[in-house]
Amino acid sequence: MDFSVIAQMVVSGAFMGLIYALVAYGFQLTYATSKSINFGQGELVMVSAFFCLTLTNLGLPYWLMVPGGLLFGAVMGLVVERTAVRLALEQQSEGWILLTIILGLLFFSSAENIWGRDDRPFPTPISADPMQIFGVDITPLEISVAVGVFAIMGLIELFKRKTLLGKAFEAVSADRDAAELMGISATGTVMLSYALSGMVATVAGILVSPITTVGPTMASALILKAFSVAVVAGLDSGFGIVVVGLVLGALESLASFYIGSGWREAPGLVLLILALALRPTGIFGKAVIRKV
Amino acid sequence: MSDMGNEMLTVEHLHAGYGAAEVLTGVSLEVKAGTVVALIGANGAGKTTTMRAISGLIKPRQGRVLLAGKPVQGLPASRIARLGLAHAPEGRRVFGPLSVEDNLLLGSYSELPRFFGFRQQAAPQLERIYAMFPRLRERAHQLAGTLSGGEQQMLAIGRSLMSRPKIMLLDEPSMGLAPVIIQELFATIRRLKEEGITLLLVEQFAKSALEVADYAYVMERGSIAVAGTPAELRRDQRVLAAYLG
Amino acid sequence: MKGQWKRFLLLRGVELAALVLLAAVPLAITNPFALALLTLLAIYGILLIGLDVTVGYLGQVNLGHAAFLGIGAYCAGLTVAILGWGMPAALAAGFAICLALGALLALPALRLEGPQFALATLSFSALTTTVINEWESLTQGAQGLQVARPPVLGVALAAPGFYWLCLGLLALVWMAMRNLLGSRWGRAFEALRDSPIATDAMGVGTYRHKVIAFALGSSLGGLAGGLYAFNFQYLQPQSFTYELMVILLLGVVLGGRKSLWGAFVGAALIVLLPNLLSNRLLFQIFSAIGLGLAVFAAGRGLAKKTTKPFQALAPVVATGLLLVGSLLVANTEDWRKAIFALTLFSVVVGLPEGLMGFAAAALTKVFRIASAPLPDAAQLESVLPARAAGGEPLLELHQLMRHFGGVHAVDGVSMTVSAGHIHGLIGPNGSGKSTAVNVISGLYAPSGGEMRLRGKPLPVGSLFKVAGCGIARTFQNLQLFGELSAIDNVMVALKDVFHTPVPLVMLGLAFNEERQARAAALTLLQLVGLGARARVRAKDLTYGAQRFLEIARALARKPELLILDEPAAGLAQPDVAELVKIIRRVHELGVTIVLIEHHMDVVAELCDVVTVLDGGKVIAEGPAHVVKRDPKVIEAYLGAVATEVAQ
Repeated sequence: MDFSVIAQMVVSGAFMGLIYALVAYGFQLTYATSKSINFGQGELVMVSAFFCLTLTNLGLPYWLMVPGGLLFGAVMGLVVERTAVRLALEQQSEGWILLTIILGLLFFSSAENIWGRDDRPFPTPISADPMQIFGVDITPLEISVAVGVFAIMGLIELFKRKTLLGKAFEAVSADRDAAELMGISATGTVMLSYALSGMVATVAGILVSPITTVGPTMASALILKAFSVAVVAGLDSGFGIVVVGLVLGALESLASFYIGSGWREAPGLVLLILALALRPTGIFGKAVIRKV
Repeated sequence: MSDMGNEMLTVEHLHAGYGAAEVLTGVSLEVKAGTVVALIGANGAGKTTTMRAISGLIKPRQGRVLLAGKPVQGLPASRIARLGLAHAPEGRRVFGPLSVEDNLLLGSYSELPRFFGFRQQAAPQLERIYAMFPRLRERAHQLAGTLSGGEQQMLAIGRSLMSRPKIMLLDEPSMGLAPVIIQELFATIRRLKEEGITLLLVEQFAKSALEVADYAYVMERGSIAVAGTPAELRRDQRVLAAYLG
Repeated sequence: MKGQWKRFLLLRGVELAALVLLAAVPLAITNPFALALLTLLAIYGILLIGLDVTVGYLGQVNLGHAAFLGIGAYCAGLTVAILGWGMPAALAAGFAICLALGALLALPALRLEGPQFALATLSFSALTTTVINEWESLTQGAQGLQVARPPVLGVALAAPGFYWLCLGLLALVWMAMRNLLGSRWGRAFEALRDSPIATDAMGVGTYRHKVIAFALGSSLGGLAGGLYAFNFQYLQPQSFTYELMVILLLGVVLGGRKSLWGAFVGAALIVLLPNLLSNRLLFQIFSAIGLGLAVFAAGRGLAKKTTKPFQALAPVVATGLLLVGSLLVANTEDWRKAIFALTLFSVVVGLPEGLMGFAAAALTKVFRIASAPLPDAAQLESVLPARAAGGEPLLELHQLMRHFGGVHAVDGVSMTVSAGHIHGLIGPNGSGKSTAVNVISGLYAPSGGEMRLRGKPLPVGSLFKVAGCGIARTFQNLQLFGELSAIDNVMVALKDVFHTPVPLVMLGLAFNEERQARAAALTLLQLVGLGARARVRAKDLTYGAQRFLEIARALARKPELLILDEPAAGLAQPDVAELVKIIRRVHELGVTIVLIEHHMDVVAELCDVVTVLDGGKVIAEGPAHVVKRDPKVIEAYLGAVATEVAQ
C-alpha cells in the first residue's frame, strides 16, 4: 500500500466531496422551511452552469458572469417552487417529489437541445497546474473549490444563525402556524429558500464545471451523491454535511482506484441505503415526534 | 350603522370549521380598546376555533372580522399579524429549537431589519419584556423547548407583546399549568390590564377570567350563549350549566 | 338479481372480449410489426400492474421499478445461457429473484417516509445499473447480452406463440391481482396509505403489508423482465435507466392509478409512444387534443370553483407548450424527454385520477352500473360476542409517566379500569388525558411507570402489538381511511375472519370469506346507524357519521377494552344522544370502555367510575356524581365561583 497514493486519492476525492456537500446544502435550505427538496437539483446545477457558459461566450467577464448566473439560479429556484412545490404543500401532500422530478427532466431535455449533448469546457481565471503540498498534488482550482464551498457554507450558517430571516426560516420549519402569527409569511419564506437553493446550485456549477466540464451527464453524476450526503448526514444538520461529504468523496476515490472506475458510484449508494435503513433521520439529524 | 367608537375588534356572525365539521355557527362579539374581554365556556364549545378564525389560521366560511374598523377576514394570518393583531395560541407553540431570546425577537419580526442590526433595534422592547418576566431573562439563551410549561407560557405572552400589538388574543394560557403558576399568570394579566392592553382572553378557568375581565362572553356549541359583565355572569345559573351539565 | 348480472356481464364480459380479441389478432393479421407491438403491450401491461401496487395503492413514488425489469431480464436470460433452463423455469427465476430482492429492499426502504423512500429506490436503481455494467464476466456489461429464447416444455416459440404466452401470462396476472387487490390485501394497502397509524391500531401491520406490496410489485416487474429478455433477445444496461422509469410512471399516472385497465391503457400509450413521436403530424394532433381537454377541464373547474387557478392553468400551459413545440421544433425525437415531462406534468396536476379514473366515473353514469349488492347483515352475537365481565381489574396503570422535553404531560398516573365498566377519564385541556391514552394504546412509549392488562405487562410503544392484545381505540383527530368506503373501513379491522392463504385468494377462492366479512361489517355499521351509508366513501360522510364509523371500525376488533378518545367532540346535540345510545349498547355486550370526554352530561350519564386528571396527575377518582362535587375538581375546571353559584 503506497501511502502517498492513498493520500493523493483521499485528497482529490475529498475536494469532489465538498461539491457534493455544497449541493446537499441546497437541499437543506428548502428542507428547513418546507420539508421538501428539489429532486431535479442536479439538472438545476447543470442548466445554471450552461447559462454561465453562454454568458461567458457572449463576452461577459468572469466577475460579471457570476452574479448573472446567481440571478438565473434564483429565478430558476422560484420557478421550481411555484410550479412544482407550492401546489403540493398547499394540499399537504408529497406530490412535489414527482413534480420536481418532472421539472428536472424538462430542464435536462431543454439543456440537451439548447446546448447540445457534448461536454464543454468551462472557463475559470484560476489555473489548473498542480502544486505539491505535503507530498500531494493539489491544483489551485481544487483549492478554489474548497474556498468557495466553505465560503458559501459559512455564509449560509451565518445567515441561519445570525440573521433574523434565518431565524424565521427555522421558525417556519418548527411551527408554520405560530410563525405566521408572528407576521412571517410562510409562503414567502419557502419561496426565498428555493431562490437561495437555486443560487447555491449555481455556485456549485461554477465551482465544479472547470474540473468536470459542463455536460448533460453532470446532473445525474452529482445528484445521487448529494442525496447520499444529505441523507447520511441528516437533512437538518449543518456542518455534518461537510464531514460526510469529505468522507464520501474520499471513499469514492479509493473505490474507483482499487476496485474499478465503474464502481465509483457504489460507496455513495451503499452508504445511502445503509443510512436510510439504520438511521433515517441521518447521523447528525434530529428525531421526530408523531402527533395524533 | 352602529357607533364604531373605540371597538378594536368586532366579530360578526362568524361561521367556521374543519373539513366536514362546522364548529362555529354564528359567533358575534366585540372588544373595545383598552379593555379585557373573556371568552369562556366548556371544552369543545369552539373558543379556540373562534380565535383561529379571527387571527387567520383558518378561513371563516361566513361572517366578518374587523380589526380597528378594517375587515380582515380571509386575509393570511401573517398579514393580520402585521396589521397589529397578536395571537398567543393554545398550547403555547413556542419555537422549541430556538432560544428564548430568539423567540422574543421573532415576536417583533415585522418591525425589525431582516438581516442585521435587529438586536439593537429590539433592545428597548426586549428590556421591557425582561423586566416583566425576569425568569425569561435568566433563561434568555436556553432553548425554548426545554422550558417548563409555565415558562413557555410566559415566553408566548412576552413574544406576543414584543410587537406592541393593537390587540392581543390569549388562548387558554392556564392550560396544563400548576395552580401556583396560574396565579402568577393572572397577576401578569392584571398588570398588563393596568397598562391599558386590549385583550381577548379565552379561558377554561371562569373564576380567574371573570376576575380580570371587563366583559365576558360564554360560548356553547359554536355560538355565544350568554354575555355580560362579570358581576352579571356570576349570578347566572346558565354559566354553571354550560360547564358541568 | 338482474342488476347483479348486468354488472358482472359488463365488467367481466368486457375483459373476456378484450382477451379474445387480442388473442385472435395473429390469426387475422400477419404484419410482424403489429404483433411485436402487441407483445410489448402485454409485457408492459404486466410491468405496470406491478408498478401500480406501489404507486397507486401505496401512493409512493417508486423509482426502482425499471431496475427490477432489468434484474428480471438479466436473470432469466442468464439462467438460459448458463444453466440451460427452459422458459417456465427462467421466468420463474426472474420472478423469484425480484420477489426476494424486492422484499430485501423494502425492509429498510419502507420504514421511510415519501421522499426518503423515493431516494432509496432511486439509489437501488443506480446501484443495479452499476452492477450490471461492471460485472462484465456475468452480464457482458455495456456491450450487451445475447439471449436465446428457450423452448416451453420442449416446444420452440415463434412470434405468434410467444405472443400468446405473454398474453396468457397477462391474463393470469390480471385475474390474480384483481382477486388479490379486491380482497383484504388491497384494502390493507389502501388503508395504510390513508392512515398508517390507524392501520397499525386496527391490527393490520402497516410495515409488513408495505413490504409485501412492494415485493409483489417488484416480482411482477421481474416476470415482465424475463418476457422482455426473450422478446428482444438482446439486453443492455442502458435500456433500464431513469428515462424508462419516468415513462413507466407516466404510463401508470396517465392510465389511471389503482386500476388494472389503467395499467393496460398506460401500457398501450407507452408502446405507441415512439411511433407517436416519430410522426410529427400525429404528435401535433395528440397535443392539440390534450390542449383542448386541458382548456375544457380548466374552464369547468374554474366555473364550478372546484379547482384553484394554478391547478387549472398549469396543464393548459404545459399542453400548450407541447403544441407550440410540435409546430416549431426541428425534430420531436430530440425533445423526447421534455415531451414526457410536459405530458406527465399535465396529468399529475390536471388529471390526477388518470384516464381510466375519469372514464370510469363517466362510464358508470352512462351505463348506470349498480354496485354489487350487499349481503344481509350477520347476527350481532357472531360479530361481537357478549362477554361476561365481573369487575375484576382489567387495565392497571402504575405511576405512568410521559415527558416531552421539559413538559411532563403524564406525571405519575395510577389508575385501575375494572372489567365491564365504563371508565371516564376527564380533566381540563392539557391535563394529559390524550397523552395517557396514546401511551396505553402504544403510540408513545412511556417515560416511566407500568401498565398491565389482566395482570400481564402491556406491550409498549407499538400500536400494532397493543392492538393484538384486545385493545381497540378511536382517535381524537379522526384517523379514517378516507378513500375507502365505510364498509371497507370496517372490513380492514375485522379480526379472525380472513384465513385464506394468498395463492387461493389470487385464484378467487376467498369469495365466501369475503361475503361473510362484508355481512359482519354491515352488522357493525347498522349498530352505529350507518347501515344505509355502507358504500359511501369515508371522506364524503358527514362529520357525525365519520365519528360513528371510527367506533364501528374499532368494534370490528372484537375488543375486550375499547378506548374512546373524545368521541363527542364537535358533535351536534342529536348526534351526542345517539352516541350515548351506541356506547350503552356496546357496554351491554360486556366490552370495557375507557371514555375521554369533555361533555360532562355524557360522562355523568354513562360512566361507572371517573378519574380526573390535572397537570398530568390524578386529582380525584370515584363515581361521576361524587367527583362532580369534589372541590378539587371544581377548582381544576372552574375555580371556586362554581361552589358559590351552586349554593
